[in-house]
Amino acid sequence: MSNKIRTDAMPSWCPGCFNFLFLSVVQKMIENEIKKGKKKEDFAIVSGIGCHGKLFDYLNLGGINTLHGRVIPTCIGMKLAKPKLNVFGFSGDGDAYAEGIEHLVHVTRYNPDFKYFVLNNQVFALTLGQPSPTAEIDYLDKTNPLGVNMPPLNPIKLMLSLNCSFVARVYPDATLIESVFEQAIKHKGFAFIEVLQPCLIFHNVSFKDRVYNLQKENHKKEDLGMALVRAEEFDYSSKDSRIPVGIFYQKERKTFEEIKLM
Amino acid sequence: MIINILCSGPAGKGINFISSFVSYTFAKAGYYVFSSREYESRVRGGNNYNLISISDFPIRSNLSKFDVLIALDKKSVLIHKERMKKDFFLVREEDNLKAAACLFKMFSLPILEFKESLKRFNVSFSSEIERSFNEENRKIISLKLRKSHIKTFSGNKSLAGGMIDGGMKFYYAYPMTPATGLLNEVVAAKSSCFGIEMESEIAAANAAVGSSICGEISVVGTSGGGFDLMIETLSLAGMARIPVVFYLAQRAGPSTGAPTLTSQGDLSDALYSGHGEFARIVMAVGDGEDCIQMPSELFHLTQEFMVPGILLSDKHVVESVYSFDRDFLVKKVYSKIKWPSRFNSYESDSRKISDDSVKNMIKNAKERVGLFKKIEKSIKRPFAFYGKKGKNLIVSWGSTKGAILDAIKEINCGFMQIRYLAPFSRKIEKEIAKAENLIVVENNATSPLSSLIQEKTGIVIKEKNKILKFDGRPFFSDELRKEIIRRLL
Repeated sequence: MSNKIRTDAMPSWCPGCFNFLFLSVVQKMIENEIKKGKKKEDFAIVSGIGCHGKLFDYLNLGGINTLHGRVIPTCIGMKLAKPKLNVFGFSGDGDAYAEGIEHLVHVTRYNPDFKYFVLNNQVFALTLGQPSPTAEIDYLDKTNPLGVNMPPLNPIKLMLSLNCSFVARVYPDATLIESVFEQAIKHKGFAFIEVLQPCLIFHNVSFKDRVYNLQKENHKKEDLGMALVRAEEFDYSSKDSRIPVGIFYQKERKTFEEIKLM
Repeated sequence: MIINILCSGPAGKGINFISSFVSYTFAKAGYYVFSSREYESRVRGGNNYNLISISDFPIRSNLSKFDVLIALDKKSVLIHKERMKKDFFLVREEDNLKAAACLFKMFSLPILEFKESLKRFNVSFSSEIERSFNEENRKIISLKLRKSHIKTFSGNKSLAGGMIDGGMKFYYAYPMTPATGLLNEVVAAKSSCFGIEMESEIAAANAAVGSSICGEISVVGTSGGGFDLMIETLSLAGMARIPVVFYLAQRAGPSTGAPTLTSQGDLSDALYSGHGEFARIVMAVGDGEDCIQMPSELFHLTQEFMVPGILLSDKHVVESVYSFDRDFLVKKVYSKIKWPSRFNSYESDSRKISDDSVKNMIKNAKERVGLFKKIEKSIKRPFAFYGKKGKNLIVSWGSTKGAILDAIKEINCGFMQIRYLAPFSRKIEKEIAKAENLIVVENNATSPLSSLIQEKTGIVIKEKNKILKFDGRPFFSDELRKEIIRRLL
């Protein structure tokens, strides 16, 4: 493998897709870590299936572009085999909240030490626009011509209720993603980071004027009760509510590797 | 000499204890023991029983009629009366230790031996047990203590040993009978191998993939229903070339079926499941020896060719207790994957970047298909041959091995145990083509082995030559012997 973090594969994402921004932030963060002394082989990536999954082709790192929905157990197996490896799991909202949600629930109990990014655009984009579990109530597409008519899942609330040891949400803002990424890398244990982003083709919404940074409004990340209150501010359906971003909750505890590899 | 003991009572009363205790002690006294068990899918009550055969020559199966009935409740006598020989001995005791003491006395074994065995099982001796021993005056046979080094292990324990010695580092599972015993044994072995329970079969299979791609030999275990959930991961391993091993312990299906009964109904599931075209290695263990020796072979081949492997067992082979009069050397296998490596569920190029160009599609498909032949050629022992070479040949696979070996003594026929079901070796074809009278023995209703032989060789097994048993119970060697002789006339 060459020393470059990026491969020479041409991305197949739509022009202007926010995945480009995410890719360059991930690339930059890993390059920073390498500058600080880490080696390329200290990092591993696992992606699922969906638009996000193509990240695997563009990052020249060890790992696997695995099955739809199975990023989490794959990362767990890797961490048990190589506990010192820095593993980054990438999923889409279909991957994490639909097909693979059983793993999302249990991984919070296990608390393996890997970082999990869910690129949530609230639709199944690669299969051309079906609603994902976080699609808003009046979302229309060919499979739901009368609208979804079901309240969306609130993954932040779910993860908080499961006592996930690190819960954060970001939106396409390089500085914000970088700062949360940095905190997540330092966190020992499972880190859940939702990347809330529009899909320019099937779900072109803007969050820019509605987001606010939790850390700038004195949210204390050890306060689980308050974190739950903040998580309810945005229900993934509302068109005008404020959307909190940043770290909702963080509390370290024993990791799966520490418990199982005794 | 063969003495057959049936030990019966409600779940939770310690029938399995008597069985392990008796097996251990008689082996220590220099006798070969084989025991199998039948139990219900419940925690307490009902009727569970173990069948124990004791012999002065190697024995690998039970017979259908019994000399001794140990009944830990009244019901047991009624249930099993039919299976007893005319002048059978009845040990009717509520307490399992007292029953074991009576049995000992009936074999004229000294009480000292009994006490020593109890110590080994961390059970204390009592005056009540001694009274039972003294009061028992019947005699089955006077067993002399023989000099030998016979040990007894269950199939599960043998399999755990074979896998761990063979290099397995991670064993992932979700509880499912009859695979759960292996997870217990892997954990109990307290070795450098980790037994990890996950939240589902799908999680377990994908965690095994994760450990496997990081360069550790990883196995995921389950029974039929759980294996079906893992099949998408099997195809992933076929595409991404991941040498993960699936352990499939068969039970009577379809669906929940009869979860505690034995069956060989999943051969086709192991051979043909999964989407897309890819190579896999399917191996079946037949008895305790196989459980120790075969996993290492499978690890070697899966690592050599970077393909998934399936190790087939069934409830009968893993939950029975086998006797061993020698030790086995197991070759430790190391993973050929060096970190960092890349793997892709998509069709991909040499850098594992997705590539579905015409050129790459053809190249990869040819490589995957080419593996069938390459693997087939490097399988050293596709089958094991027993008995007499000649015109009569029995072909089988898996746990029928024990009953067949015990049944064909003094019968003029050979027995081919197929060890590798996929890839199907040409060597098997050559051997069976020589036979005039071909008999297939299987613990299922449709004889998938006959279909496989026909598919791969064109040789058709006559309907009348298929000896099939599908009542969820294993073959008894005496009954099987009659069936074989009937077909050879």
